[in-house]
Amino acid sequence: MALISAALGRLSQAFLLLLAMSLIGFIGIHSVGNPVFNIVNIETATPEDIRRATIALGLDQPIWRQYFLFIGNVVQGNFGTSYIYHLPALKLVMSKLPATLELACIAMLIAAPAGIGVGLLAGRRKGTLLDRSILRSSVFALSVPSFWLSMMLILTGAILTGWFPSGGRGATASFLGREWSVLTWDGLWHMVLPVLALAIPNIALIARLSRSGTIEVESLDFTRFCRAKGLSSRRILLRHTLPNISVPIVTIIGLQFGGMLAFAVVVESIFSWPGVGKLLIDSIQLLDRPVVMATLTFISVAFVALNAFVDLFHAVLDPRVRLSS
Amino acid sequence: MKQENSFRPLLLSALLISLAFWSILSGPAQAQELRIATSYKLMTLDPHYANLNENTSLLSHIYERLVYQDERLDLKAGLAISWRATSDTQWEFKLRENVRFHDGSPFTADDVVYTIERIRDFLKPPSGGFRSYVSEIKAVSAADPLTVVVDTNGNVPNLPLSFSSIFVMHRPGQGFQTTEELNAGSPPIGTGPYKFESWSSGEMLKLTRNDDYWGRRPAWSAVTFRIIENPAARVAALTTGDVDIADAIPARDVASLKQRGAKIESVSAARVNFLQFDVGRETLPGVTSKSGEQMPNPFTNPLVRRALAMATDRGILVDKILAGYGTAAAQVFPGGLPGTSANLKPEVPNYDEAKTLLAKAGFPNGFNVVLAGPTGRYPGDGESLQAIAQSWARIGVAVQPSVFPFSVFNTKRASGDYGVWYGGTSGEAVDIILHALLASPDPERGTGALNFGHYRNEAFDAMLAKAESIQEGPERNKALADATDFVMADQPIIPLYHFHHIVGYGPRVGSYVMHPRGWTTAMQTLPATE
Repeated sequence: MALISAALGRLSQAFLLLLAMSLIGFIGIHSVGNPVFNIVNIETATPEDIRRATIALGLDQPIWRQYFLFIGNVVQGNFGTSYIYHLPALKLVMSKLPATLELACIAMLIAAPAGIGVGLLAGRRKGTLLDRSILRSSVFALSVPSFWLSMMLILTGAILTGWFPSGGRGATASFLGREWSVLTWDGLWHMVLPVLALAIPNIALIARLSRSGTIEVESLDFTRFCRAKGLSSRRILLRHTLPNISVPIVTIIGLQFGGMLAFAVVVESIFSWPGVGKLLIDSIQLLDRPVVMATLTFISVAFVALNAFVDLFHAVLDPRVRLSS
Repeated sequence: MKQENSFRPLLLSALLISLAFWSILSGPAQAQELRIATSYKLMTLDPHYANLNENTSLLSHIYERLVYQDERLDLKAGLAISWRATSDTQWEFKLRENVRFHDGSPFTADDVVYTIERIRDFLKPPSGGFRSYVSEIKAVSAADPLTVVVDTNGNVPNLPLSFSSIFVMHRPGQGFQTTEELNAGSPPIGTGPYKFESWSSGEMLKLTRNDDYWGRRPAWSAVTFRIIENPAARVAALTTGDVDIADAIPARDVASLKQRGAKIESVSAARVNFLQFDVGRETLPGVTSKSGEQMPNPFTNPLVRRALAMATDRGILVDKILAGYGTAAAQVFPGGLPGTSANLKPEVPNYDEAKTLLAKAGFPNGFNVVLAGPTGRYPGDGESLQAIAQSWARIGVAVQPSVFPFSVFNTKRASGDYGVWYGGTSGEAVDIILHALLASPDPERGTGALNFGHYRNEAFDAMLAKAESIQEGPERNKALADATDFVMADQPIIPLYHFHHIVGYGPRVGSYVMHPRGWTTAMQTLPATE
């Protein structure tokens, strides 16, 4: 019973969040400018062309009516048709999703173990040269802007050495009706640099978290008891320390993963990786409202879902969470 | 705002290409496949959806026109081999024989009829920009399989020019093909030198050679367009040899690209960027006297416009801001193209005389003005305003530049927020631009669509109307040049520059011919002989 009410509360929260997001997004994109000027060629269009296009897009209506119309359509699962590409907006977003998804998943699959491993290592050897160098390089990796990091990767990985392509998705193979880069060598080759660009800051972030967690846990009594009991330090690290530091790490992995799905804009733009982030930024520039709204909605849903997963995971990982709920 | 926008690509591209890069040669690309990085995102596979270079460039591989414009903007036979006016209100087009669509069916007059009917009767907004080409057409019919007869409402001497913007589609079994159908993958069927292979919106277009093409068979058996909107990423892709051609190269990257072996082609664009005055209102927003008070519109006085034109240093714009990849402008098209005037030459600034003129007009101390413009839309747009502000300051006109992203700028301009602004326009021919930009606004005749400054000059209107009634040819061009001479003397706009379209290409490409309309196509590209 408690579970159901918790789930319901969660859902209604999510619903309110989506509603607020849609209102803010809608008004925001509306107040930026008039999309008609991006659709008809303003350099050759007659006022009549513009007027007809305005009416066809429903932009002659007052904004509140446009909003209700939009909400009404969304309830029926229709986000409208992209002004620019003339494809259903949601379909367009979904068609860009695989590219983003595989990039984010692989980046996280690399970042999480690498970050945790490095963090545990540094935490265990607190104060050593290794620890200090990990700490410093993580500060560096976290503070460089992602466009600079991407650019340096292109410079070293593509231009100077010629090992990797400088951008694009390469060959893809079809699976479940979608195109995937991970299924071809060429595609994988194209993924290396953008994946690194996404993974490196995350490795640093996760490493810092797990390092401080490790230091904290290792100073607790139970670790000392474990040690006194004669457990190997490796066993202590993996069986006792790791689960105890995992809650904040899982949280940050969830959040960062959501962030990559939604806002890998810079990396996607620089590597001309045709993902959701790039679509969002292009659509904002072109004031392609249906696509912006569909993307924002998708992102919000993704974040809400990820947060729920993270909470669920906490319960699995940490008995205290289960007890308290 | 501007700073942030331009900083990133600038830094990026500067770093990317200024540091050593090895050979442009990398990895053996598949023989005969041409890879192009283009800034033009193909929005749709519907050739009649939006009249933008974005679509025209890429779709011209698949579809063809009855008439096309060559690199001199002269009309050349395309799918039609000849055309003539049989009366004041009737045109006859003779079509090319033995042309086949990609599905094997023959090209006939009926397909032309279908195309025109589709634009005129079927397409709904927002698909825009094409209807005006066919709005004067009363009826279109196929006299025989290779003859199209077009009846017009009045005298339409530039109908062939209009047809140079219309791609011919194949009549399907029944009804009209919708934009959605075309986008959803029912393959676009044209008569062009390349067949459609696959498309991913905003990402990629793949084409294969049409071996049954009626004209010269293209050199490349396959073409891949990669849509890369970020200029730095385009430059990087060319640098690493990921692509053979990259279009819309920023002028600032040209020198370093050249230094590293890439070849560059450029041409003055058949378009103009200019300053436009609002001469229609009593008072203007953003225009105040030196003491900051509201003042009567100064731009209604031709002396003021003349003085400001004189105080505009086009040399700085072209040499410094466009890094030499621009041509100083005195009219709407670069000199030498049909309909341009040989008398008009860009003038060097003369600040003393400009100051005298301004004093004569009653503004010895100048005035304050907000100069508005878009940023990130045209090469050199935002920076130009800064340079002009400095020039004008020398004759006492204090300029406050105000730049916005293009769509915001347009919204504000449409709602009358500006008194003088930076604009850009392009078109098929000189008369199209004069008609839209400088003719008195008249919704019924469709003139002055871009005359946001409400400039009215009846004598010019008459001259233009007369020129437009003459058939294509030297006589019409002469009349247009005269009309341009006449109107430019009154300075309704200050032409600034014709920026250059710049394309870079790597070692697999032997030559590339630029088109002044800015189209990027595989047909312009010949392979290097090895």
